[in-house]
Amino acid sequence: MADLGEGVKPLAGGTDLIVNMRKGTISPDNVISLAKIERLSIMDCSNGLLRIGACRRVSELLQSDEVAASFQALCQGANSFGSPLIRNLATIGGNLVSARPAADLPPPLMAYGASALLKNTSREREVSLKEFFRGPGLTAMKPDEILTEISIKKPPPNSGAGYIKLSVRNAMDISIVSVAAFLTLDDKYEIIQSARVVLGAVAPTPMRAFQAEKLLIGEKAGEALFKRVGEAASKECRPIDNFRGSAEYRRAMVAVLTQRTLFMAFKKAWRNK
Amino acid sequence: MAQQMKKSIHLKINNQSHELSVEPNQVLLDLLRDELGLIGTKGGCYLGDCGSCTVIMDGRPVNSCLVLAVQADGKEICTVEGLERGGELSTIQKAFMEKGAVQCGFCTPGILLSAKSLLDQNPSPSVAEIKMAISGNLCRCTGYQKIIEAIQTASKVQNRPDKQEP
Repeated sequence: MADLGEGVKPLAGGTDLIVNMRKGTISPDNVISLAKIERLSIMDCSNGLLRIGACRRVSELLQSDEVAASFQALCQGANSFGSPLIRNLATIGGNLVSARPAADLPPPLMAYGASALLKNTSREREVSLKEFFRGPGLTAMKPDEILTEISIKKPPPNSGAGYIKLSVRNAMDISIVSVAAFLTLDDKYEIIQSARVVLGAVAPTPMRAFQAEKLLIGEKAGEALFKRVGEAASKECRPIDNFRGSAEYRRAMVAVLTQRTLFMAFKKAWRNK
Repeated sequence: MAQQMKKSIHLKINNQSHELSVEPNQVLLDLLRDELGLIGTKGGCYLGDCGSCTVIMDGRPVNSCLVLAVQADGKEICTVEGLERGGELSTIQKAFMEKGAVQCGFCTPGILLSAKSLLDQNPSPSVAEIKMAISGNLCRCTGYQKIIEAIQTASKVQNRPDKQEP
């Protein structure tokens, strides 16, 4: 890849690259398959860290017991992704490097505080997903780098997360709005110790709602608080009008979905009690 | 310097081994239809949206329009032609006929394969699980209800002790 330069595209699941090549939106000079690089297919959950190779299929996330047990919101993201046919091809890495603002995996991954491992021929670096996305189709990756794996720290037991995607159809659809929320509670399961709220399809990149998150820290979890936080997130997002929904509608839905996903996260944490 | 050199691949299609020489930009769907004459697999949108090109690759249903033939190297493929057993239609195919689940028929091969893959993994699926399994296959005759009933029927027949398919 380093030798071929700019006109080269790595091929993983192909559900984005092959479609765009067929539509003629991109015409790379060379396409390089990543299929035979074993390291890109790791799946390891030891020492409190989940590591997923970039070429793992979305459907494989749904078959993993570790993901089901500790990363419920990631399962919810994977489950609302395309269709079973697409999930059997599309990869977790591909969904990140394509950097679509409405993609289904970035919000839950960011909610869990995931980072991406980027590698070129000489070195490796780790980038938090919150710094990874730079705009529609744009990432922090350099042209000579590939994404090798995604790593997520296993959340403590007194925590939970939730993801909701709002779309017209239940399958093969692009989000109008999506929200992922993550909460860690104190030992009594009452006071919120840390929180992440991630909004999809309402800005050029998936975005953290930092102002909304601040309102949660140190507070007692509950419906009234979650409602206030939803309203704050709604003010923070920067949606556009398009055929999928108006900016006004998206803002209103951010408020509702933030409230609901926080409640999901809270309930999940409680179930671990 | 785009090179168009044919690549040699080895794959199994409907339990038959094939050694083939393919263009690097050819998709599996075109290989099946144009080179091997397996025209049961349909080409609809060529964008992974409609599911009419569904085949089972290494046990999982995929859109064959999104898989390059070279990516299918070393894989096992099952197409709709591979469903029959000893010259007889499979249980799922018979159930589709019995329930009137075929209208124009264009989506049928893809849906049969999504259904087979579902029943292989989950012999007694719920209606919700059936709907989820065929959610990547569009039927524009809007005949989903009959399709769901047919898959339920096939599940019941396959689960009968005297009707275990290999």
